[in-house]
Amino acid sequence: MSSTSSPDWAALSPAASSSAELERGYRRLIAFYPRSFRKQNAEEILAVLLATAHEGQRRPGFAEAADLLRGAARMRMGLSRAPRTVLNAVRLMYLGGVAHLAVLITILVTAGDVRSAVRSAVLQHDHAVSAVVLGKVLSTVSAALIVNIVAGALLTVAWLWLAYLTGTGSAWARVLALIACGFSTMDVGINMAQGDATYAPAAMIASGVVWAIGLAAVTLLMWKPSWAYFERRTAAAE
Amino acid sequence: MTIRPMQEATFLILTALADGNQHGYGIINDVAGISGGRVRLRAGTLYTALDRLRADGLIDVDREEVVDNRLRRYYRLTPEGGRRLADEAARLQANATAAMQRLKRVNVAKPALGVI
Repeated sequence: MSSTSSPDWAALSPAASSSAELERGYRRLIAFYPRSFRKQNAEEILAVLLATAHEGQRRPGFAEAADLLRGAARMRMGLSRAPRTVLNAVRLMYLGGVAHLAVLITILVTAGDVRSAVRSAVLQHDHAVSAVVLGKVLSTVSAALIVNIVAGALLTVAWLWLAYLTGTGSAWARVLALIACGFSTMDVGINMAQGDATYAPAAMIASGVVWAIGLAAVTLLMWKPSWAYFERRTAAAE
Repeated sequence: MTIRPMQEATFLILTALADGNQHGYGIINDVAGISGGRVRLRAGTLYTALDRLRADGLIDVDREEVVDNRLRRYYRLTPEGGRRLADEAARLQANATAAMQRLKRVNVAKPALGVI
């Protein structure tokens, strides 16, 4: 492209090198978008970004970068085409996942305390308790803790996965969410009947909050605009 | 589909395209002009919106051209997009008219509040 008689000024000028640097910066951000979208739109977005950049800009601005990453995240989660009801349901589901994670971390952090509290309670009750009996009690406590930890980890993953599935408009997501909500309602009901509210109020409140989040998410998914969205996505998938 | 309020960015993008086909950079400038410089669309927001509007069938790609080695894709409003924009504009206008009429009545009753 350059002529043979003059040096390639464009390559030497500081303006050209800064714009090449800027282009690389933008390309790195665009790389976060899904491949199918990039294939169609990467060059076009790049052109717009370079056109809106100000003179001598060397790297993407913070707000620009945040906006691109936000768009990429929404698209990756399939949320860019979702109506607000689905969007809010998915947000609630991620919140539910985080709540389970918080419960899980609490159990992990306090597991030692629980064991020593049980140990001192047993010793207070019966000073002459045999080591075998104490060992049995403590291993039961450990088993219960492990069950809770495993269940907590599984539930955290399940919530996050369901949130992702819902965002992508999977027809299964709604069915699974409905079933999960039914089980969770039963679980909370059973715990309530067993009197958890009196002897474990904190655990009861935590599971009540998670249950309410789930119920709100499922309600949003059953809303009319959500129906239309899932029908469209199902039709598009076929 | 139920009629629900359109997001302002969506409304302004469709309005920009109602005047003729435009490419991404053109839409950003036009939207800034329509909104009196208040709404400056960022590229990420614009292309997320364009992707959704295309999926919903409200806009479509008109043509592509290459200017200075850069790709330009022109978008146009579909008939369905035009209808949705007209519905939304009518809805906004009805609300605005009601507000203006009531404010006028208040002003007539209490001239001291004329600054509203």
